[in-house]
Amino acid sequence: MKHFPFTLSGRAGVVAATALLLNACAPAQDTPTPTTGIDLSHYLAVGDSYTAGLSAGGLTRTSQDYSFPNLLAQQFALASGGGSFVQPTLEAGTGTGYFSLLDYTATGLPRTRRVAGAAVRRTVVNPTACGGPDTVRLFTRSATAGALPQNLGVPGLRLSQIEVAGLGNETNATPGGAFNPYFERLLPAADSRTYLGAVTTAASSATFFTFFQGLDELMPYIRSGGTCGSVSLALADPMKTNARKILDVLTANGHKGLILRLPDIRTLPLLRQGQGKSVEARLQAFYKDKATIYIESPFAPGTSQPITEEDYILATALPRVGQLTPVQVGGSTLMLPYGRDERNPLRNADVLDKVSELNVLTGIVTAYNAGSTNPSRPLILSLESLAKLYKMPVVDPSVSLYTVDTGALFANVGNSVAIGGVVYSSEPVRGNFFSLDYYTLTPRGNALLANTCITAINKAYQANIPAIDVNRLPTTAQ
Amino acid sequence: MRQPLLFLIPVFCGLTASSALASGYDSGPQGARVLGLGGASTAYINSIAGLSTNPGLLGQWADSLTRVSIGGIGQVRRGSFVGQDTYQRTDQELAVQPGGYLYATHALNKRVALGLAITTPYGYHTKWPSTWEGRSVIQESQLSTYFVQPTVGIRLNDNFSAGVGFVYAFGKYTQRRALGQYDDPTAQTQLSASGSGFGVNAGLYGRSGDNLSFGISYRSSVQLKMNNGTLTTTGVPARDASVAPASSDFTTRISMPSTLSVGIADHITKKLLLTFDFSLSGWSAVDSLKLSVAATGSTPARNQSSVRRYEDALSFRIGSEYQVSPKLTLLGGFHYDETPVRDEYINPEFLDANRVGVSAGLSYQLSTRLALEGAYSFDYGQLRTARVSQVDEKVANVAGTYRIAVNTASVGIAVAF
Repeated sequence: MKHFPFTLSGRAGVVAATALLLNACAPAQDTPTPTTGIDLSHYLAVGDSYTAGLSAGGLTRTSQDYSFPNLLAQQFALASGGGSFVQPTLEAGTGTGYFSLLDYTATGLPRTRRVAGAAVRRTVVNPTACGGPDTVRLFTRSATAGALPQNLGVPGLRLSQIEVAGLGNETNATPGGAFNPYFERLLPAADSRTYLGAVTTAASSATFFTFFQGLDELMPYIRSGGTCGSVSLALADPMKTNARKILDVLTANGHKGLILRLPDIRTLPLLRQGQGKSVEARLQAFYKDKATIYIESPFAPGTSQPITEEDYILATALPRVGQLTPVQVGGSTLMLPYGRDERNPLRNADVLDKVSELNVLTGIVTAYNAGSTNPSRPLILSLESLAKLYKMPVVDPSVSLYTVDTGALFANVGNSVAIGGVVYSSEPVRGNFFSLDYYTLTPRGNALLANTCITAINKAYQANIPAIDVNRLPTTAQ
Repeated sequence: MRQPLLFLIPVFCGLTASSALASGYDSGPQGARVLGLGGASTAYINSIAGLSTNPGLLGQWADSLTRVSIGGIGQVRRGSFVGQDTYQRTDQELAVQPGGYLYATHALNKRVALGLAITTPYGYHTKWPSTWEGRSVIQESQLSTYFVQPTVGIRLNDNFSAGVGFVYAFGKYTQRRALGQYDDPTAQTQLSASGSGFGVNAGLYGRSGDNLSFGISYRSSVQLKMNNGTLTTTGVPARDASVAPASSDFTTRISMPSTLSVGIADHITKKLLLTFDFSLSGWSAVDSLKLSVAATGSTPARNQSSVRRYEDALSFRIGSEYQVSPKLTLLGGFHYDETPVRDEYINPEFLDANRVGVSAGLSYQLSTRLALEGAYSFDYGQLRTARVSQVDEKVANVAGTYRIAVNTASVGIAVAF
């Protein structure tokens, strides 16, 4: 009887044939072919902190790499028609300074410290700024300053400043001067161009844009607990007017793009973490008592009132709530828990109260996003009305929206969402969406925002742009 | 020698080649010969492997012979996935789920026979690449079960027999998934548990004339009580050490469904036998995978739940056996299995779909006492689309389309002396 020649090569062949047989048996599936639907070869991103990729209070090379416009551009490139995307990147390993996690307080709140950035070349201190001395940091100039980059996101840029000449000129870097150091590094030295002027120049060669701007108009006021600057509902009109100036430029010649609405500010962890009654309950559970939280009355200075569900303590102030602080009561000084005693209420600068501050802010955002048009001022239009005016396509057929509703994303994250088995929430650090400044996003948060934009583009322009596997990205940009 | 094999690949993969029975994590017919028959063995007495399907058959072997049947089973259950939004395709890695069977029957007298069945009726091994899109839902999961079933069969008269078996089941469950909330790609959590449970199996067999016979059987559901589980996590940063301790104990319960089967077998000609089976599996016993995790250090006790919500499922099987020569018997089968997994709860830990399958096998009589048996079966699943509500953070899942194919092979020997 002849035996099968079970040599080494013969065995290898059997193994190979078996492996091939079994591997060939993985059931096949077709994958969709990525397409763009429209010309995405030259994408221009216009906006403020979010667009620039600010994360944990500063820009780093990494945070820029994970800015939502850069992530979008990378996905565009996967579909045919995607071109290069030039960002005003910092040198690798440098940054403008950022917050890093120090530890958790006993009540479970993250504490941060500021890490200095290597890209800072000069500082200007304004000792008399509202809310205490303010430091303006100037940064190394972007290598793209000769020709403008495609990511024109400028952290801290207010819509009201888009026509301020010299906003990016170092000669205005004086205490109290109208100056934005992030804009300065985008421009050549001693360039007095306005932001609108820069957008006009850059838009001439763009084929597609995203516009996500306006929140930084409100952030200084929010961060100061409503103590710096004055904000009223009437602010919505100049914001709309200036948004229109930029959008008129971006949509000229029928250029396509996406207009992003502003999220509800209450979904930002800066406020959401400090929702009055839930903080009160958390602290009561921690201290095992029934103490009410009191805030300064916005209308009767010097008096206290119990906090309500719609008064928001700034997240930056939360670690101090309940700490013993000296208070003058009658003639003596008592050590009383901050905020947890009627005689030691939370200071106005630590709280956005419902009536005089929060309702105004949310009213502005609502009006700016999709408020109705005042017949007596027909040229002042909300983002939604502008999108219709420019005949932009519907980005969300289920609710007939012409603008991208970032608020839905932020609200969902606030209630926790599961993406591929990973839970995202509005809690900084563990929530993986918001960064440690309680406002801007982590790389994964940016990717979720980019995916929201991709969904909108795919619906609006019948495109097939693949989304990002969010969980693959880092959780911090530092 | 090798090349002639390669051309068979498209035959196996494209068309079909054979089938296993069973829906859910049923691992198919427990025996080479019944595998070739497509599992339609409720009224099939030509192999004692029918013992695990229908104890009522046992009385039919109450003759002077002692029968033993032993063999091995290998099952490859493989799926592919295409992300709904990412368009990325991922194929499951090759993982062979081993199985096997041992049957023995011996008659005490002309009326009563004893039998023993040791089988591996439920199990799966799911293995995804560790970096795939759903890595935080599941990377690898394996369930193996072993059923030991001592059985008593009674021949009621020439045409009827009945049997009842007692089932002792032992099972082992392991699972591994990434902790995608951390940057460390090796951060993961692993589960490992084993336990046992009991059940009963009873059946009837009857014959009208020489050509037509029928069977009916019921096997109760079996719940494996796993009280020795260990949950370990690795790669968790220090700040979350209190949230996810390195090691905790847990308990869980894993259920196997009850099965009600009816079947007929008909000798169309002297050489050709056709069998038909229809069965209902009570998968609704599987509601969710609940872990009761014990307190560890400062971490309090907690419950984890992963929703399954299986529903009862039907399957339909046809088998045929043709005696080519006194020594060689060929087997063929076809089956359709309904899946217990609802659309809303498709989960990559265990993929399943409505499946059609075909099978082929043979039995070769080496001597009057010894037969060699072999069979192969191929199942192809319907495309399944998993939609995910991100807002429902309790249901961990990944949206996309899934398809599975199941290859099962078995070889064994049957001895009668």
